[in-house]
Amino acid sequence: MPRMAVAATVAAALALALAGCAQRSAQPEVPAVLTHPSATSRAELVRVVSEAMNGAPVTIADDALTADDTLIIDRASGRDARELNLRGRDTGKPEHFRLVKSGPQCVLVHAATGRRWTLTSATCAPR
Amino acid sequence: MFEDPLLPGVTEEYREAAGLSFPAYGVPSKEAEEGTTAEGVKVPGLERWRGVIPFGLATPPGDSCLCYRGGMRRELRWMVVAVVVAAAGCGDGGGSSGGISGGGGSGGGSLGPSWTQGVFQASSTFANQCANPRTGVDPSTGRRYPDLQGSTLTENNFLRSWTNELYLWYSEVADVNPASYSSTSSYFNILKTTATTPSGRPKDRFHFTYSTAEWQALAQSGVEAGYGAQFVIVASTPPRNVVVAYTEPGSPATTAPANLARGAKVLTVDGVDLVNATDSASVAKLNEGLFPSSAGASHTFSILDAGATTPRTITLVSANVTSTPVQNVGTIRTASGTVGYMLFNDHIATAEQGLVNAFRQLSDAKINELVIDLRYNGGGYLDIASEVGYMIAGPGNTTGRTFEKTVFNDKHTTRDPVTGQPLTPVPFHSTSQGLSVPEGQPLPTLNLSRVTVLTGGNTCSASESIINGLLGVGVEVIQIGATSCGKPYGFYPQDNCGTTYFSIQFKGINDKGFGDYPDGFSPANATGSIGVQVPGCAVADDFNHALGDPKEARLEAALGYLVNRTCPAASALPSAVEGGELQLLGEGSMHKSPFRENRILRR
Repeated sequence: MPRMAVAATVAAALALALAGCAQRSAQPEVPAVLTHPSATSRAELVRVVSEAMNGAPVTIADDALTADDTLIIDRASGRDARELNLRGRDTGKPEHFRLVKSGPQCVLVHAATGRRWTLTSATCAPR
Repeated sequence: MFEDPLLPGVTEEYREAAGLSFPAYGVPSKEAEEGTTAEGVKVPGLERWRGVIPFGLATPPGDSCLCYRGGMRRELRWMVVAVVVAAAGCGDGGGSSGGISGGGGSGGGSLGPSWTQGVFQASSTFANQCANPRTGVDPSTGRRYPDLQGSTLTENNFLRSWTNELYLWYSEVADVNPASYSSTSSYFNILKTTATTPSGRPKDRFHFTYSTAEWQALAQSGVEAGYGAQFVIVASTPPRNVVVAYTEPGSPATTAPANLARGAKVLTVDGVDLVNATDSASVAKLNEGLFPSSAGASHTFSILDAGATTPRTITLVSANVTSTPVQNVGTIRTASGTVGYMLFNDHIATAEQGLVNAFRQLSDAKINELVIDLRYNGGGYLDIASEVGYMIAGPGNTTGRTFEKTVFNDKHTTRDPVTGQPLTPVPFHSTSQGLSVPEGQPLPTLNLSRVTVLTGGNTCSASESIINGLLGVGVEVIQIGATSCGKPYGFYPQDNCGTTYFSIQFKGINDKGFGDYPDGFSPANATGSIGVQVPGCAVADDFNHALGDPKEARLEAALGYLVNRTCPAASALPSAVEGGELQLLGEGSMHKSPFRENRILRR
């Protein structure tokens, strides 16, 4: 192979490699939903959300994040002696988490803080 | 003289990580007196008090000294530890009424201020001084618990001062010596008004506590352990009557072969006779079966479906069920035009999306009237109630008007004493508030000048705000059903030492400045003990028809009233007492929670 052609090939390969690097470093994130949730992935989700909430116990439905990319976390429904909603007039706001697919990874993002957790046991797909 | 127990929140295991690299202050110093911030950690000052020296220090027990607690301890690294400096500060022992006296009394036998009737120190003086301080991280802050060693007396003193500062009716609370109560729960129980409402009920029926650990538990919005069947306890003592009020789609209750539906009566639970059982073991089994506290609990029921004559047996396994707070949205053609209907059960975050969808559907259907079914709605987010008000009445009725204004006691007339924010009224929200719909989206509206609400004793708080908010801007409200619960009040739950206290702190008033409905709202022809009267009809709950069925008694009465402004003859039922509440016969009380301390069936 002529020297010029070799150089051109090497340059093209480098360019491709660099482009790949650039692509990886700026992988687009898309809203995602969980696919094939398992007991392990559910446990990881509960653990991560609890960690984000400073260790508070959290109850999450088995199908959480399977139909929607948003997980809303609220005070567990406390009731008064008559079993009516304890707050009655709640002037606060719940916590929101969003699932995004970032390259091959499923990442849970806490909306209020921007903190991120990669869910290593989960599989997900763009919503 | 030093004693160096670790401060609460710091343990031997992570003292290296939690400690400071240098002492925060020297002793004596202004910082030692008042506390300071070092390395991003708020370090409390050395607490001054005169009194009996604790901890068996060298000074003879009973000596009166100027003593210190809290502070720093010198280690390889300087740790956040408690230091007691005693000898250097010993003085004349002359305590003052400023709260530095020995005392203690029976309130836990610990040190605390002397009690002078009508004289209150700031609650912050006593906050987080606990008989049993917690250690570890507080989930509500992500920081170490602020608890310091205190006593039952310091906890009682906190409650006394906090009540005096924030309780809506603080001037109606008798000032009782906190040292005369040996438990915080018994003392808290008397820190409320003893006045009654016009109907004779206690003015304050919303005064209670929760374990903070339990209160801090979180859940996905609308998710809780259960079967997906909401039971109404029509009679909680023998002969009991427990009926399914409504069900959640896709839940264990509605999945074959259970196929539970509204009106099904529960006859037995795990072989125990629900109607007649009287022994406590049986009652415990009934409660456990009806209200499981976690997923995976399996129980067997004998059920008599509505209209059936023969019971059937089903087994239900509890799950973490996701509720659907807005259901049965549809339209009904009547002589008065097209009437829209929706069942709205809970002001939870996910309801925002459900409500937007429902109102859009009914707007597209060009309805003339709306019947909104709030009979099982105990309240929740006030922002959602405001959105509902707007979506019913539209901008023409609500722009620039107040949905609800929060009013605290007369010590706090301009700012919210808890958040510090100015007391600005909640408007009728015309855009979504970001609960489950992205914030700022324009809301659909029906632009109605009249709405019909179906109510019962479980229609409470934020649900009543919808009624009161609309009345405040001149929207005609027709009420069909039973008297609502009567809760124009709210509070900020307050943790202290592991107990979360609920004490009424504010009431909500509408655009006309009205918020006095402690006996609820009552349909105009209601009999017996009633609240603020609203045009409409008293009609008992009808478990023989589905919610949203035009033949269901309350909806049928609403449809009839809209046409001819008359109530069905049988609607003026006498009142009955159930669970301490005056209710229509057959009204029952709704029980949505699995919390085990709230046993709902009784012997």
